[in-house]
Amino acid sequence: MSTLFTIAWVAAAVNVVLLVALGWVWVQGYRRHGASHTLGLLVFASLLLVQNGVWLYFYRLHEGYIGWFVNAGTDVQVGMVLLCGLETVALAFLVRITWS
Amino acid sequence: MEDVLWYVLASSRGGPTRVRILRALEERPRNANQLATELELDYTTIRHHLDVLMENNVVRRTDDDYAAVYLFTDQVRSNWDTVETVLEAVDSDSEAR
Repeated sequence: MSTLFTIAWVAAAVNVVLLVALGWVWVQGYRRHGASHTLGLLVFASLLLVQNGVWLYFYRLHEGYIGWFVNAGTDVQVGMVLLCGLETVALAFLVRITWS
Repeated sequence: MEDVLWYVLASSRGGPTRVRILRALEERPRNANQLATELELDYTTIRHHLDVLMENNVVRRTDDDYAAVYLFTDQVRSNWDTVETVLEAVDSDSEAR
């Protein structure tokens, strides 16, 4: 159980780092030329950043949520891990394209 | 092609350098060494950006020789209006610099 819990919150934390890296590139680009394509990506990253901030709050600080996760079945726990974990994989691909 | 051009030129870290490379290649085809000299950048930096542009089918090389010249792909030539739109949006302050 605790392994799944750890993977879930670490994934949310990694997502925050990746989104800050992406956002930094896009802020620089948008300030330089103001292209709407870049602005769209910036909005996308901002919303996902808020989402992962909420996840981190739940996993690190919200005792009610932590208790629910701990007592949930393995299927639910794996599902919750996939929510943030698959996003990490997706963002990693985007970072690879964006950082080149 | 349009979204590729926006991504590669406007929304990625190497965008500004790749815009300069496209402008230089628009004047005339050049090899990586000539581009490095013209843009005052490292040869390896130029090669990295040319590789990205090749992976995205924006430019192609004439052959595998190290002095190979880089040209625009047919895909880019037939979408040149889009290229101009992206370059103008991204490169609008280049004349002021």
